[in-house]
Amino acid sequence: MPAWFTPAAIVCGVMFAGSPVVIAGAPYESTMGLVQKIFYYHMPSAWMFLTASIVCGVASGRFLSTGDGRHDRTAWSAAEMAVLFGLLTLVTGPLWARKAWGTWWVWDARITSSLVGWMIAWAYLILRKYGGPGSEKLAAGLALFGMANVPFIYISVNYWRTIHPATTVVPRLPVSMGVPLWYCVAAFLLLLVLLLKLRVRVAEQQARLDAIYLSLDEQRR
Amino acid sequence: MTTLLRATSVAVLIVAVWGASVTAQIQRVIPPSLPPLHMPIPPPELLDERVLMRLAQAKPEQQEEFLPIDQLPPQEQLPAGPLLVGAYAFVLLVLFGYLVSVARRLSAIQREVDRLDADVKQIGRG
Repeated sequence: MPAWFTPAAIVCGVMFAGSPVVIAGAPYESTMGLVQKIFYYHMPSAWMFLTASIVCGVASGRFLSTGDGRHDRTAWSAAEMAVLFGLLTLVTGPLWARKAWGTWWVWDARITSSLVGWMIAWAYLILRKYGGPGSEKLAAGLALFGMANVPFIYISVNYWRTIHPATTVVPRLPVSMGVPLWYCVAAFLLLLVLLLKLRVRVAEQQARLDAIYLSLDEQRR
Repeated sequence: MTTLLRATSVAVLIVAVWGASVTAQIQRVIPPSLPPLHMPIPPPELLDERVLMRLAQAKPEQQEEFLPIDQLPPQEQLPAGPLLVGAYAFVLLVLFGYLVSVARRLSAIQREVDRLDADVKQIGRG
């Protein structure tokens, strides 16, 4: 692993350990009260889910154009990140909505498109695991659809009727709420980078192992 | 991958439990005395007094305006604490579980590489 990995992991651990203290210092939102504090983990999770989907799509596009296995490994790892952070988003959201909206789930444009994006990431992983030879190119094509879904998820609240707040909410947050939010975004972003690096490392080692097995087989023949 | 599949199975299970609880709540809300919508109501002279009273009671009151959550009666308010703690606990547990899963995969591959190295060395000596 690179030299920066361990210090960055320590910083990330400290940031997550300190996040409850930072979040507890944020004021209560006037109408939702305590439950609104789910926001500080829900929104960074959602942003990392979208970021991972974009990384997966870009790496897949580069893999399709260059055929370089490194991009394929990055895309595969990013798809796993998209599933992971998508799961966090889709679970913390209903927990917040149950109290704030009085319902676990609403089939509005943002939630539905997020679910579709998450299922595309799952489909990518399932295709890679069970698709057999050649599945990497099929999965890469799928990842492009997953990436195309990202802007739709983001802007959907501005164009369709929904209970979700519009995208203008975050820039207008007071400093007392903005600081904990951006702190959590930084922690989640660092975590995404570290997990992605670790997962790419697993994929690289696996590729190396496969190459050794292939060369051993050729030597035996 | 296996751990992810397991984690998702657990998530699906949780969603199923939520669904069951929501369904149970809906069933509680529907008054058992209401006749099904498709059933024709006979003329009043054919109904006895008890049936008329039950029909009158079953008629829901019209709500004319939005009621903010904080103005709901206490028995209809949900406590925020368990939802908040549940959300944070879920995030941290899933992240920790995934980290353990990646670390295990990495160490398993490393062990296999070491074993292969030893085999290659043995073949070289032979």
